[in-house]
Order: sequence, then structure tokens, then C-alpha cells
Amino acid sequence: MSTQQPAGPLYATAAVDLVKVYGTGATAVRALDGVTVGFTRAEFTAIMGPSGSGKSTLMHCLAGLDTATSGQALLGGTDLTRLADRVLTKVRRERIGFVFQAFNLLPQLTAAQNITLPLDLAGRRPDPELLDYLVTALGLADRLAHRPSELSGGQQQRVALARALVSRPEVVFADEPTGNLDSASGAQVLALLRDAVRDLGQTVVMVTHDATAAAYADRVLLLADGRVSGELDRPGYDAITHALSGQAAAR
Amino acid sequence: MSRTVLRTQLAAVARRPARLLLTGLAVLVASFVVFATVLAQQITERTVLDGLSGTPEQAAFVVGGDAMPTAQDLAAIRAVPGVAEAVGRFETSVLVGSAAHGAFLQVTADPGSGPLALVRTVAGRFPQTANEIAVTARTAERVGLPLGSVANVRTGSETPPVALTVTGIVETSRDSGAQAYASEAAVAALTPDGAGGRIEVRLSDGASADETRQRIQTVLGAATRPQDTAVPGIRPGAEVRAEEAARAVEQIANLFALVAMFVAIAVIAAGLVAASTFRIVFAQRTRQLALLRAVGAGRGGISLALAAEGALTGLVAGVVGVLAALAFGHGLPAVLGWFGVALSGPGLPVGAALAVVFGAVAVTVAAVLAPALSAARVAPLAALRAAQTSPAQRGIGVFRLVCGLLLAVGAVVSALLIGSRLPGQDTEDYAPLPMLLGLVASGMLAFVALMLLGPLLVRPLLAVAGWPLHRLGPVGRLAVGGIGGAPRRAAAVSTVVALGVTLIAGVLVGSASVQALADREMALSAPADFEVTSGDEPIPAAVVTQVRDRSELAHVTPYRRLGELRIDGDPENAYDANDLDLTALPVLGVLDVEAGTLADTGAGRVVLSGYFAEVLGKTAGDRLTLSRQGHTVEVRIAAVLPGWVPLNSALLADPADLDRLGAPAGYSGILADAAASGEDGRTAGQRALRGIAESTGGLRLSVLADERDQYQDVLDSLLGIALGVVGLTVLIAVVGVGTTTALSVVERAAESGVLRAIGLSRARLRLMLTTESGLYGVLGATLGLLLGVPYAWLAVRALGVGAPVELPVLSLLGLFAALVALTALAGVLPARRASRISPIAALGTGD
Repeated sequence: MSTQQPAGPLYATAAVDLVKVYGTGATAVRALDGVTVGFTRAEFTAIMGPSGSGKSTLMHCLAGLDTATSGQALLGGTDLTRLADRVLTKVRRERIGFVFQAFNLLPQLTAAQNITLPLDLAGRRPDPELLDYLVTALGLADRLAHRPSELSGGQQQRVALARALVSRPEVVFADEPTGNLDSASGAQVLALLRDAVRDLGQTVVMVTHDATAAAYADRVLLLADGRVSGELDRPGYDAITHALSGQAAAR
Repeated sequence: MSRTVLRTQLAAVARRPARLLLTGLAVLVASFVVFATVLAQQITERTVLDGLSGTPEQAAFVVGGDAMPTAQDLAAIRAVPGVAEAVGRFETSVLVGSAAHGAFLQVTADPGSGPLALVRTVAGRFPQTANEIAVTARTAERVGLPLGSVANVRTGSETPPVALTVTGIVETSRDSGAQAYASEAAVAALTPDGAGGRIEVRLSDGASADETRQRIQTVLGAATRPQDTAVPGIRPGAEVRAEEAARAVEQIANLFALVAMFVAIAVIAAGLVAASTFRIVFAQRTRQLALLRAVGAGRGGISLALAAEGALTGLVAGVVGVLAALAFGHGLPAVLGWFGVALSGPGLPVGAALAVVFGAVAVTVAAVLAPALSAARVAPLAALRAAQTSPAQRGIGVFRLVCGLLLAVGAVVSALLIGSRLPGQDTEDYAPLPMLLGLVASGMLAFVALMLLGPLLVRPLLAVAGWPLHRLGPVGRLAVGGIGGAPRRAAAVSTVVALGVTLIAGVLVGSASVQALADREMALSAPADFEVTSGDEPIPAAVVTQVRDRSELAHVTPYRRLGELRIDGDPENAYDANDLDLTALPVLGVLDVEAGTLADTGAGRVVLSGYFAEVLGKTAGDRLTLSRQGHTVEVRIAAVLPGWVPLNSALLADPADLDRLGAPAGYSGILADAAASGEDGRTAGQRALRGIAESTGGLRLSVLADERDQYQDVLDSLLGIALGVVGLTVLIAVVGVGTTTALSVVERAAESGVLRAIGLSRARLRLMLTTESGLYGVLGATLGLLLGVPYAWLAVRALGVGAPVELPVLSLLGLFAALVALTALAGVLPARRASRISPIAALGTGD
């Protein structure tokens, strides 16, 4: 992980001098103020920062959900900021996985259909071995025929996790994945995310404001006022809270 | 508190006025339709009145109408001071050509110019002397009386012909094709027994109406009249005109009363759509309403506020709808005027406009009540729940289920009961009205049952109807799933679509059946465009050859008719037979058999009328003995036709059998079609036949095609009107589908966001939402056809007119396709809007 030279095969995804301005004139807000950062392959990174620090905006730009004002959002060498919506859609479908705070499963589909939806949309068949592995590892084997309304929050988020992983994306972006879960379910989901990095070599970028969640990550990137304000390598809970309070004091 | 709640709700409405219109769109359309109907009636009535060729507006008095005024009366009235003009509106009818095969002409006296004239001369000049006439353009063409020609007319079969010169072609408001106009003297000369009609009187400027009337009364009273003849009465022209107008408008009023019934159904559909829309709108506001409840708003206050919002929606929708109809109603005559179609403009019926707006408010409030009450029951805790919406309610309550099942059973039982009492061939003691009313009641039961049980039907129907979509890949599956995920909403909107489809399917099946009946009747009574018949003498074969040689005629088919036939030696009844060749005339292709087959032809075989088959107790395959004046023939019944056989005979026999029964060699009649289509072809054919008939003598020509056309015109216009009025319900249903899709798109924005985030392209998201919208059409049209076709079948049978029940499969499939296309189209705009929203905004996640 480096903030100096993010391009290159080492990084699954990277931002180069990324700027995002919302609004114009006096009401303009610089949500991202020149962020340059790279995310190493097969690494679990947490992005932290107070509200308005730009952590969600950074993730949206890197995931091709939002356009940048200037700079580059690279996904394995492809600059997403230059792509048309049609191409971006394909990129999201085939190269990126998402886990949302509110699970966002489709209520009308069963768990199994939700998991394979991105592949269905791409017209591809799921890799049966991977699917088997995921279903077993995530403890969903007896829940596949259920609809989301019949699943607990933890189960729903595990289905969402399986949906994100099943297409072997280059990066999985997780946006506050434990925000709607009790601590036990949250811990389970985070452990599963870490397992995915360790066992499947998956790159995971997670936005969170929960130090406990961030403690599962290999690296923690701190953002403030649209800039990178620090980074911690394999920090513990205490180190994170310390860094956060230091950041708060500096403001 | 409740005022605060009201303020909160109304503030939200004021911020988004477009959404208010969207919510009330169905009511808006209904208001438009209702008020447009009011204006349409006005336009129609005024147009009819303006084009009414009755008493001229300048006529102050009309003399006669009860007792006939005489030519002397006319002269006397003309001499009365204050009378500027008096016109004898005398009428008579004369025969043009020979007594046996002439055409009738209606000859009316007219001044030809001036304020009291009813005709306008377009060519030549108006007749002045007693041996001159003018004819209308169509009459000149039809009867063969061009400008300058001489018509030999007879006033009776005994009287010698009178030669009249056609000096002018005139134009009048209604041209029936047998009208002539002449001077009073000419009409009087044509009516030796005294002209019939009335006198129209115009006053000179400044003359007192009362005094002049008094003077006319005096001269009429003074005139000498034959015994037992009453003095003609005097009536003001305005009164006579009003009476004529009332008569002309009466039919329109009846027609619009029928239209009003269907408009009422459309209004009910609008109410249903509005109720379902409110339910969706309030569901979107669950959190906000829960918040109000959490901070202390009462249920009653919230219900009241929501109902007030509904009333406001109804008011706005009603006003906009009425204004739109007003603009349309006043614009249409102007626009049509550019294309040369003269329509009178409507007025400004303020009372009706206010009534429509009030009705809109009333319907909307009625629609909003149930949704408002259930929305107010939201638990305050719902405000604090996570953003994830709770799944839509799938099932229905036990009470609703039981009610629905009871009604469904009631509908089925009543339909079966009616089905078991359908009339047979003999409909003498059969009263159709109670049966039809029973059917309407049964249909209403079925619909309420459908509304109650709808949510339970959505999934099984989707499983069948959505199956091909499932095969089409994930987008189709998502669309089917999206509909199936909210079965209550789907049921609510599909029921309205079904209502429209049921009505249209009923009209289609009904009109196809009536059309089949009419075709059959027409094929029997008018199997060709023209018929030439002889009086007593048979038509020689040479005449047939002559007719065949004319290029203006086609399908020339001679036939013989033989009466005085006895069947099976029964001396009481005599029957008649003809030997028409069923394959010679294309119109006869529509004949359907009750039993047997028409292909089984040849000597020794007959086709029997169904009516006589029943009387004789015979059916296809049975044998008959025909006898006449000592000749006897054994025949077998090849086929039985429903009702009569062509040319209204009892049976159709082979020419060889008629020979054996002693029929003469000559023909009784010749049938022929015009070779060319259209008015010109027919006129040419008619001329050709008339020429032959005149040169042969003793032949009579009838134009059966005119009769058929008039019948067809009536049927066509009835079908058009019926489709137009039941189409209104479909229009409302499509609007309902549009609003439902639009609101469901808003409600499921997060879902769209997820789909976009995980890789659904804009185009496919649009496709998915449009497919969902079209699926409402699939559901509605399926339900509608399932209900409409059996009910229409029962209704046609219950009419008891012996109409064959026709299933216009193509039209019904077209209806299905059209509904699916229309409902899909209704979803295009909402789908476009949904696909433009960025996935982040849709997901509602932000830093």
C-alpha cells in the first residue's frame, strides 16, 4: 500500500489525484480534494473518517457508481472516469462486487437467485465449485430457497456477500456492511470478509466508521475533508480509536 | 394537532404539484371524459339542429299540418296584408318510367329562392312552369335524370304519363337519392285530388304577428270547403321548429343516455384506480406518517388530513379535466372546420362543469377513504425501523376471502342458472330482458369477487402468463418477480384493465355474432346486389344470356321458384322450393348449417329450412316425398339451415327435381352482382339491368344491395359507438397502469439502484420496468377475456334472436396484444425516469 505511485499491477484499484466537487459556485463542496491512493491485491482495506470526510464518495468513484470531477479512478489499469455508462455497467457487472449497509437484496428473488443475479445479468453460468464453497462457507446451504423477507439480517448480509463474491470480481466494495447488524452477526460477516481475502485472494475495500469493524482489516486508510490524513498497518482496535481521536482533535 | 398534520401534508402537496396531478390522473381523465361527453351531446344536438331541414327559420306561421290547406287558401293568404311571402310546401310521390319497373320520386314544392327556400340550385335553373322539375345530384345519378333530360312520370298506374323536363340540379341538406323539387303549380298538377302539405308564411317587416294571424284565421274561415273538411290550423313557426328539433334530438338524447351508462362504468374504474394509487402514495409516506404518530398525532387527525389531500386532488383533477375538455370541445369544431367538416361549437354549460368538478371531488374522496384509514393505522414505531421496507402483504384476510368466495359462487351459480334457461329455436314465449339483467348482475358479482380475490390469482396467473418471460432471461424473471412481489397492487390495477377488456371483448363477440346473424339474414333475403323478377310469365333463357353478356354485371344466377308443393302427402300445407345454385353467389358462402352438409348436392337431395324442419320433425338424412299436381319425387334432406333457405323458401331443390315436379323451363328471377365495387359500379349495374328490363317488358328490378348497405351502416356505426364508449374504461385502466408503474418505480428506487450497481444496464432496467407495466396488461387482459368471452356468449344466446355465437379470435387476440402494448407503453415514461436516476441516489447512501 502506498500513497506515492498507485499505478501498476500491484494495485487492484487506485485513485490518482481524484477530485469530486458537488454543486457549483458558493455552495460547491469538494468532497474529494485530490486523493491519490492504491489498494493492493488480496488485501482487506478499511476506509475510515468522520461524516463528510469523503470516504463514501471515494468508494463510489472507485466502483464506477459516480463520476469524478478530475483525476483518475483506476480499476486494474482501466480509468473508470473516462468510460461511458454502458461500459461502466459491464465493468460493475463483471469486475466489481458490492456489499451494502441495507443488504439490498431483491425481495422477489430467492437467496439462490439473488446470489447468481450478477452472473445471470452477464449471461454467465456460476462456477459450481465456487458457488458450493461460498454457500457452505457462508452457512447458507439450508436457506437458498428462502426469500429475503424470511431471512435474518445476518443471513441477508451473508447472501449479499455471496452475491458479491460469486463472480470473482477484482474488487469487492463494502459500504458499512455491519451498520444494520447486531454485533454477533456483524463479527461473523467481517470474519467472512477476511476469510475471502485470505482464502480466495479477494481484494476488499470497506468503508466504515466502526473501529471494531476496521480492526478486521489489513490496513486502515484515514480520510478527512476529502484528503488522505493517515494510514495504519494492521492496527488493533486501540490504535484505530487513538488515531481517530487524534484526527478529531486536529480538527 | 390535526390542523398541524393537515398543514404538513398540504405543504408536501404544494411542494410537488405534479405528483398531485399524477395521483389524480385517472380522476382527471374521467372528468375530461364526462365533461367531453356533455359537450359532445351539445355539439351533436346543435349540429343536428343547424342541419335540420324542417321549417325555415323565417317562417312566422305554419298553416295546416292537421287539415290540408288548398291552393285557394294559399292564394287567399298571399293577399292578406302583412304577409310578405307564403309558400305552399306541397308534396307528392310519382313513378318514373313504366308502371311495372319504375322508381319512385318524392316531389316537393319549393320557391327555389328567397328566405323560405329549402334547396339551392347548383346547376341549371330552378323550375318555373308546371312541366319542369329539379332533382338532387344523387337522384340524377340513381334514377338516370341528368340536367336537360325528360322524365315520364305517372301519378298512378292507370293515369297516362306526364313529361317533365329536368331544368336544374339542386342541393339540399339531406339527399336520399329519390328527390325532386318543382313549383307549387307543378306539384298541384301532379296531384289531381288536391295537393297535400302545408303553407309557410313569412311576415313583412313591421307587420304585427298577432293581427296578421287574426286576418289569416278570418280568410281561412271564410273559404268554402267540401263537407267534413276541417279548417286548417295556424301555428307559430317557432313552435313547429321546436317540435321538429325535439323529435330530431330525441334519438340523440337516447343515444347519450346509453353512452352515459358506459361513462359511469369508466368513472367507477377511475375511482378504483385512484384508490389503488392513494394506497401506493400513502405507503411511500409510511415513515413520515409514523413520525407524525410518534410525536403525538392522532389516527383521526391523520385520516382526516389524508382525506383532505384526496379532496384537494379531486378538485384539482376535476378542474383541469373540465378545462381540458372545454378547450378540446371548442377546438375540435374549429380544427375540423379547416378540413371542411361543419360542426357547431358547444356552449359553456357552467352548471354541468361545476357538477363534474363536484363529482370528481366526491369520487376521489370515496377512493381515498379506505387507504387513508389504513395508512393512519401505522404504528409509531415504523418511523424508527430500518430503511429496508417490509415485504408487501401477499395474502388477504379471512373475511375478504370468505366474501370473495361467496360472491364468486353467486356469480357462477347465477350464470349457470341463466345458461340452463337459454332459449332454443322457438323463442315465442321468451322474454330476454330478465335474463340479460340477470347476466349483468352476475357479471357485477364476478367483478367484485375478482377485486376481492385478485391478489390470490396474480401468482398462479403469472406462473402461466409469465412463463415465456422466465425463459427470456434474468430481465424477464425480474419483471415477473417484481409484479409477483406485490400481488395486491398488481391485482388492483389488473382488475381495472380486466374491466375494460371484459367490456370490449363483450362488444367484439356481440358484434361478431350480430354481424354473422345479419350476414345470414342478408344472404337469405338479399343474396345478390340486384334481383330481376317477372310478374307471371317465366323469364326466357335469352334474357339471362343478355344479362350475362353485360360487363357491368357479375355472378349472374337465374333461379326457378315452384309453389304449391305438398310434403309427404299432407293436403293442409303448401310449401315452396327454389333451385338457386348455392355456389354461384359469393354472399352465400356465409351460410352455416344446423345439420348435414351443403356439399351433398345433386338430384334427389334438398336443403330444408330449420323452421320447417322443426315443424315437420325432420332432420338431415331423413326422406321426404314432394308432390305437386300429380308429380311425385322422393328426396333426402342433405342439410338443414337455421331459419330459412335463401330467397325465403321452405326448401332448396335440385333443378332436375323441379323439372320432375313439372316446373316450367323459364326462370322466376335472376340474381346478379355489380361487377365493379362502389357507388359507380352499382349505378352502372342498375342502369344495365334497367335497360334490359325495359326492353323486355314485364320485369321488375330491385336493388337489394342498397338495403344491405343501410343495414351494414347501422351495424358499423353501432359497433363504432360501442367500442368508443367501452374504450373509455380501457383508457382509464391504461392511465391506472401508468400511474401504478410510475409510483412503484419511485417506491422501488432502491431496488433499481441495486440492479444498476450490480450491473444492469440502463436499457435493460427500462426494459424490465416496461415489461412489468406490460405484465399488468397481460394479467388484466387474461382475466378480462376469461370473464368477457363466456358472459358475451351467454348474452348473445340470451338475446334469443337465434344469432350464432361467433368468437372473433383475431379481434380478441388483437385486443390482447393491443392491451399489452398500451400498458407497456404506459410504463415507458416511468421506466425512462427510473433508468436516469444514478444508482447512488437510488440507493440513498451518502457520506
